[in-house]
Amino acid sequence: MSVLISLFLKLSAFSALAFGGINALLPALYDLSVTQEHWLSRQTFTDFFAIAQAAPGPNLMTVTLIGWHVSGIIGAVVASVAICWPSSIMVYFLQNYINNMKNPRMQRAIQFAASALAVGLVLGSAWNISSQLNQHLTAYALTFSAIIVVVFTRWHPLYLIGIGGLLGALGFI
Amino acid sequence: MIGICQIVPGPNIVNLAVCVGSKFAGIPGALSAVLGLMLGPSAIVIILGMLYEQYSYLPAIQGMLLGISAVGIGLIAGTGLKMMRNEFNYPPMLIVVAFTVLAAGYFHLGLGWVVLIATPIALYLAWKKSGKA
Repeated sequence: MSVLISLFLKLSAFSALAFGGINALLPALYDLSVTQEHWLSRQTFTDFFAIAQAAPGPNLMTVTLIGWHVSGIIGAVVASVAICWPSSIMVYFLQNYINNMKNPRMQRAIQFAASALAVGLVLGSAWNISSQLNQHLTAYALTFSAIIVVVFTRWHPLYLIGIGGLLGALGFI
Repeated sequence: MIGICQIVPGPNIVNLAVCVGSKFAGIPGALSAVLGLMLGPSAIVIILGMLYEQYSYLPAIQGMLLGISAVGIGLIAGTGLKMMRNEFNYPPMLIVVAFTVLAAGYFHLGLGWVVLIATPIALYLAWKKSGKA
């Protein structure tokens, strides 16, 4: 029971801070679940991240899987609800507030500031988590190639995930 | 509407579901949109998790997941870089981006601290920029 409460409280706190979404949250999620609480090993975290990336649906499925690993279906539900409710309540009230703002300059400023914060956090998160999850130089090379493809082409991400999975299954990563 | 969802913290796609759902049917609408978004993928991912517990000892599966995870990180970083267009139009804002990237990526400063320090600077710069536009 206490582990469920801890799961709920800590993920709820993350939800309200996660500018840039779940992607920005990955290092904090890793610290919490692997380093501090030992809910799962580094390997399992990496694998859950990979499963959530490859599966259809929102990327917060990494959180759902962590919850499931900690405490089965109940854990999955608790973790998913925890990561959603604070931000959902915020956006519910903020959407009208920001849309009806009388001062368009303020509106633009808030949007620009938040998007800069989100970009920085997402990029910082990718850097941080790559040093936790990538084990060999080949993995870094694959990450780097994926960045290039995403920035310069319009390939669908699933192709990249397929190529990554294939290279990995063949033992190259 | 997508703009608002991206500036509020939290899972972006869930925020979007709250916005769209509440537009149609208030709080019940928001709740059912989020539930509809989550139920299917959660079921799929839990089934995959069960398969994972059965077969994760296989070297091919281990390798496959390592490859997917490396690509996944690249997808996140690449998307982040693509989101930077507005910041390049107003170079001072790149300071905020650089600070956030270094603090979160290199110095592993906690998320709360990064947000607390970067928010006022970002708001100040954004306020100045929006006066010019």
